[in-house]
Amino acid sequence: MEEVEKDPEEASEPSVVSENQEANSGVSTQEAEEDPTVEVKEESQENCPEEDEVEGSEKLITPQRIIDLQRDLSALVTNIQTAADAKESMRRTELEEARRLRLERLENDAKSSQERFEEITRGWSIAKQKLIPQELQEALNNQQQLWAVLLEDKKKLISDLQQELKAGDDRYVKDLRKQAEELDLMMERMEDQIKTLTKAYREELAQMERVYQHETDVLLTKYKSEWEQYMKELLDIEGERLTQRKEKVEEYETIIHHLILETSDKDSIISIEQNEKFQVQERELQQIKGTSMVAKLKEIKHEDDLLRNKFNLAHMKSRIISLRTDMKNLVEKYRSQEKQFTKRNQYLSDDYKRNIQQYECIQKKIKHFAAADVKKFEEMWLMIEAEVKQLVERVLVIESLIYKQHLGLAWERPPMPFMEHSGPIQPQKQACGPDRQAESQLFETGSQRMMDASVGPQLEADTESMDMETHREGREAQSESGAEVDEGKLMTETVKKVMELLCDEAGFLVEEKLLSLLAPLEKEEQTVVKLASLLTSFGIEEEDLPMLAHFLIKSKHQQREPTEDVCVEFGEEAETNLTSELIDPKHVVPALKHFLEQLTRSRRSSAHQHFSFQHVEARDASGDEGYWESMGNVISEDKLKLWDAAERTLTQYHAVLTEISELIPETEDLEQQNEELRLMLQQLLTSTL
Amino acid sequence: MPRSTYSPGSKLNPVEDYSKMRRIIAEDPNWSLIIVPSLSNLCLQSIMKNFEKKPIFEDLTPIQKHFVHERLSTSLPLRVTANLISDGVYWKRCCEQRWDLCDFSHYGHSWKRLFFERHLENIIELFIPDVTETKTVLAMVPLCRNYVKRLDISQLLPPVKEPQEEEVEYGSELTIDNEYDGPSMDHFDFNILLNKLTNLEELHLVYRVKQCGMNFEWKMFEMTNRDCESLAKALKSCKTLKLLRLHQSHIEDQQCRVLVKHLLDHPSLRELNFSHNLIGDRGARAIGKLLNRSKLEILNISDNNITGPGAKAIANALSKNSTLLSLNLRLNRLRDEGGEAIGKALLSNNVLHHLHLGANEVTTPTAIALSKVLFQNSTLRSINLSCNNLGVDGGKALEEAMSHNSSITECDIRLTEVDEKRVAFINQVVWNNQKAK
Repeated sequence: MEEVEKDPEEASEPSVVSENQEANSGVSTQEAEEDPTVEVKEESQENCPEEDEVEGSEKLITPQRIIDLQRDLSALVTNIQTAADAKESMRRTELEEARRLRLERLENDAKSSQERFEEITRGWSIAKQKLIPQELQEALNNQQQLWAVLLEDKKKLISDLQQELKAGDDRYVKDLRKQAEELDLMMERMEDQIKTLTKAYREELAQMERVYQHETDVLLTKYKSEWEQYMKELLDIEGERLTQRKEKVEEYETIIHHLILETSDKDSIISIEQNEKFQVQERELQQIKGTSMVAKLKEIKHEDDLLRNKFNLAHMKSRIISLRTDMKNLVEKYRSQEKQFTKRNQYLSDDYKRNIQQYECIQKKIKHFAAADVKKFEEMWLMIEAEVKQLVERVLVIESLIYKQHLGLAWERPPMPFMEHSGPIQPQKQACGPDRQAESQLFETGSQRMMDASVGPQLEADTESMDMETHREGREAQSESGAEVDEGKLMTETVKKVMELLCDEAGFLVEEKLLSLLAPLEKEEQTVVKLASLLTSFGIEEEDLPMLAHFLIKSKHQQREPTEDVCVEFGEEAETNLTSELIDPKHVVPALKHFLEQLTRSRRSSAHQHFSFQHVEARDASGDEGYWESMGNVISEDKLKLWDAAERTLTQYHAVLTEISELIPETEDLEQQNEELRLMLQQLLTSTL
Repeated sequence: MPRSTYSPGSKLNPVEDYSKMRRIIAEDPNWSLIIVPSLSNLCLQSIMKNFEKKPIFEDLTPIQKHFVHERLSTSLPLRVTANLISDGVYWKRCCEQRWDLCDFSHYGHSWKRLFFERHLENIIELFIPDVTETKTVLAMVPLCRNYVKRLDISQLLPPVKEPQEEEVEYGSELTIDNEYDGPSMDHFDFNILLNKLTNLEELHLVYRVKQCGMNFEWKMFEMTNRDCESLAKALKSCKTLKLLRLHQSHIEDQQCRVLVKHLLDHPSLRELNFSHNLIGDRGARAIGKLLNRSKLEILNISDNNITGPGAKAIANALSKNSTLLSLNLRLNRLRDEGGEAIGKALLSNNVLHHLHLGANEVTTPTAIALSKVLFQNSTLRSINLSCNNLGVDGGKALEEAMSHNSSITECDIRLTEVDEKRVAFINQVVWNNQKAK
C-alpha cells in the first residue's frame, strides 16, 4: 500500500531530475553559445579600426559592403543563438505543458486509485460481514482481482512514466547532441565569418594595392619620360660646354707655357737679389742680437737691483708700519696716562685745597685755644697769687706774732717787692742778665731766618706778633732786627759779588767734567751752574744763601777781631759795617769752613729754638719759678730754724698747759673734796658739838 | 690550461705579434673578452643565487633589475618575491611556466597581477573544506593582497566525506532542516578571505565541480544555505567590490534573498550577474528592492524563473531608479504581464541604455507598450525582443515607433513573427541611427 502511494512520487522524481538535467544542459550550452558571440563581438571590434582605416583611405570603394558583411555574418552567428533561445523557450513551454499533463494524470490516477482503494476497503468490510466460507472466498477473490487491477494500473503508470523518463533522457541526449551540433555550426560559422571577413579585407587590401600600384605605375612612367627628356637636354648642353672648354684649355695652355718661361727668368733674378738682401739682413740681425744681448744683461742686472731695492723697501715699509702702529699705541697710552694724570692732579689739588681749609680751621682753633689758655692762665695766676699772698701775709703775721709774743723781739717786715705785683709776671722784668740776652739773640736770628724762608706765612705772622711783644721789652734787640732788615735790602747787590767770589775760590770743589761742559757758556751762566753744584755739595739750601753772603762779608772783620763772640759780632758788626767790602779771597775758604760749622750748629740750635719757641708762645715758665720761690722764701732758713725751735718750745709749752688743764679738774675735785670734807668736818664739828 | 693549437678564435694576431699577444691574453686560444663575464654580472648572479637568503632588488639600477628579471629562478618561494620584485619579465616567466595560455591583456597588462590572481584562483579552486588547511589560503593573503583585483573562480570543491544518509537527503532535497545538520556539504568559506583582499574589484563565482566524470551528483552544482550565508557576509565585508558574478550555482529565492539582504547599501557594487540560476518571483522582488538601495548600473538576471509578479516588482523599482544602465532579463517567463509593466516603468525612466527581453513569451501588448516608450524615450540605445511572438500588430507598432526614434542603435526582433518588410524597415532605421552616431 505504501509502495503504491510512493509510486507516483517516485515516478515524478526522475522526470524532475531529467528536467533539471535538461535545464542544466541547456544552461551549459547557452553558456557555451554565449562565449563565441563574445568572441565575435571582439572580432568585430578588432575589425573596426581596420575598417576605419580602409574607410579613411578609400572612402569610395566599399565601406558599406564591409559593414553589411559584418552585420550579416554576425547576424548569421547570432541567429543560431536566438534560435537556441527560441528552442529553449519552446522546450520550456513544452516541459511545463508536459509537467502539467503529468501532474493531471497523476492526480487522476491518485483519485481513481483512491476510489478503488476505498472500494477495496469497503469490500473488506463486506467480506467481514460474510460468514459463509464460499462467499468469503468469493469476496476474497473479488478483492484480489481488484488489487490486481489497481496494481496493474500503478505498474502501467510507472512504466509510462519510466518510458517518459527514458524518452526525456533520450531527448536530453538528443538535445545535447543537437546543441553540440549547433555549437559546432556556430563555431564553423564564426570561423567562416572570420575567413570571409579576412578574405574580404584581403580583397579590399589587394584592390587598394592594385589601385595604388596602378597609380604609382602611371606616375612612374610619366616621371620617367620626363626624366629622360631632361637628361637628354642636359647631356646636349654638357657636350657643348665640354667642347668649348677644351678649346679654351688649349689656348690657356699655350699662354701658360709662355708665362712659365718668363716668370722662371724673373724668378732667378729675384732670387739672387733676395739672397744678397738676406745675407745683409742676417748680418744686421747678428749685430742686433749682440746689442740686445748686452742690453738684456743690463736689464737683468737692473731688474735684480730693483728687486733687491723693492725687497728692502718692502721691509722698511713693513717696519714703518709696525713702528707706526707702535707709535699709535704709545700715543694712545700717553693720552690715557695724561688723562689719568690730569684726573689725579685735579684730585690732588682738590685734596690740597681741602687740606688748606682744614689747616686754616685748625689754626683758628689753635688761636682760640691759645687765647683761652692765656686768659685761663691769667685767672689762675691771679687766684693762686692772691692765695699765696694771703698765705704770705699769714706767715708774716705768724712770724710777727712769734717775734713779738714768743721771742719778745721787735719784728721787722722783710722787703717784699712781689707783693705789690699782681697778674702774670713778665720774665724780662725781673731777670735780664747776659744769658738771657744771648738767648733772645738766638731767638731773633731764628725768627729772622723764618721770615726769610717765608714758609707758612700765617704762623710766621703769629710768631712775629709774639716777637713784637718781646721786641718792645728789649730795645737793643729791636735795633738789631731793624738793622737786619736794612741789611736784607743790601743783600741783592752784594750777594752777587760774593757768589762770584765763592765760585772762583771754591772752584776746586766743582767737578772737572762739569767745568769742561760749562766752558762754552757765558760767565754769568757759568757761575750760576757752578754755584748750584757747589751749594749742593755743601749741602746749603738756597735760603741760606743770603746768610752765607753776610757771613763772608763779615768774616772780613772777623779776621781782625777773631776773639769776639760770633753772635755778638753778628749783631753789632752788621750794624756798623754796611759797606759792601768783599772779603779777601784768601780767607774765603777758612771763612767758608767756619760758616759751615756755624751753620750746622745753628741748624741744630734752630731746631731746638723752634721747640722752645713753642713754649714761649704759651708761657715763659723759668721766670715764674723764681718768682714763686721768692714768695716761698719769705721765711728764710734761719727763720725756719727759729720757727722750729719756737714750735718745739710751744709744743712743750702746750704739753705743760694741757697737763695743767688736765690737772685743773683734779684740783677742782680735790678742792671740792676739801670743801666737802671741810663741811663734813664742820658738820661733825658742829654735830659733835 | 694547456694551449691548444693556434686557433682561429684569436683573429687579430698575425704571427710576428704572437709573442706580444701572449703577454696580454691568457694562453687559452679560445679566450675572448666577450666570453668573460663582467664583474657586475657575476655579482648579480651571486645575488640571484642567494636571493632566498638575502634578497637584494630595490637597490639595483633599472638595467640590473631587468637582468635579474630575466634570469631569476622561478622556483623561488613567493614570500620572498611577492612584495619585492616588481611587475615585469620575471612574472611573465613564472606565468608561462605554469600555464600554457596567458593573456595578460585581460589583467590590465600586468603579469604580476595575472600570476597572483590565477595563483589564488587555483588555490581556492583546489581547496577542499576540512582537508585543506585555511592557512594555505591565508598565507597567500599578505603576498597577493596588493595585486589581486579580480577573482574568477570556476569551481568550488565540496568536502570529501559524503554525508552518511545521502539517500535520505537526496529524497528530501532542498529541505532547509537537513541542510544544517550533520557534516555539511559547505564549500570554501569566503569570509576568511574577502575582507582581507583590499584591492578586490571583481568576483566571479560558480558553485560547481569541473571534470567530475562518473562521480556526478547534483549536490556538486549548488550552494548550500550556509555557503550562501557566509558568502553574503563576506560580500558585505568586501567594500571595494564592484562586480559580482554568481552564475550557474542553483541559486533559489531564499538564497537570493539572503545575498541581496547583505548587498543592500553596498558602497561600491556596480554590476550584478545572477544569470543561469533558479531565481523566482520572490528573489526578483528582493532584487527590485536592491535596485534602489545600491548604485547598481548593470543587472543581469538572464535565464531564471522570473514571471509576471517578479517582473512587476523590478519594473516598479526601475521607474524610480536613476542609476541602472543595463537590464538583462533574457530567458525568463515575464509574459505580457511583466513586459507591459516594464514598458510602463520605462516611460518614467530616462537612464536605462540597454534592455534585453529576449525569449520571455511576451506578445503584442508588450510590443505596443514598448513602442510607446520608443516614441518618447531618447536614452534607450539597444533593445532586444528576439524569440517573442510579437505578432503582426506588434511589428506595426514598433515600425511606427522606430520611424520617430533616433536614439536606438540596436534592435533585435528576430524570430518574432513580424513582417519581413517591417523588420527591414526597422533595421534600416537602426542602421541610420548607427551612422548618425
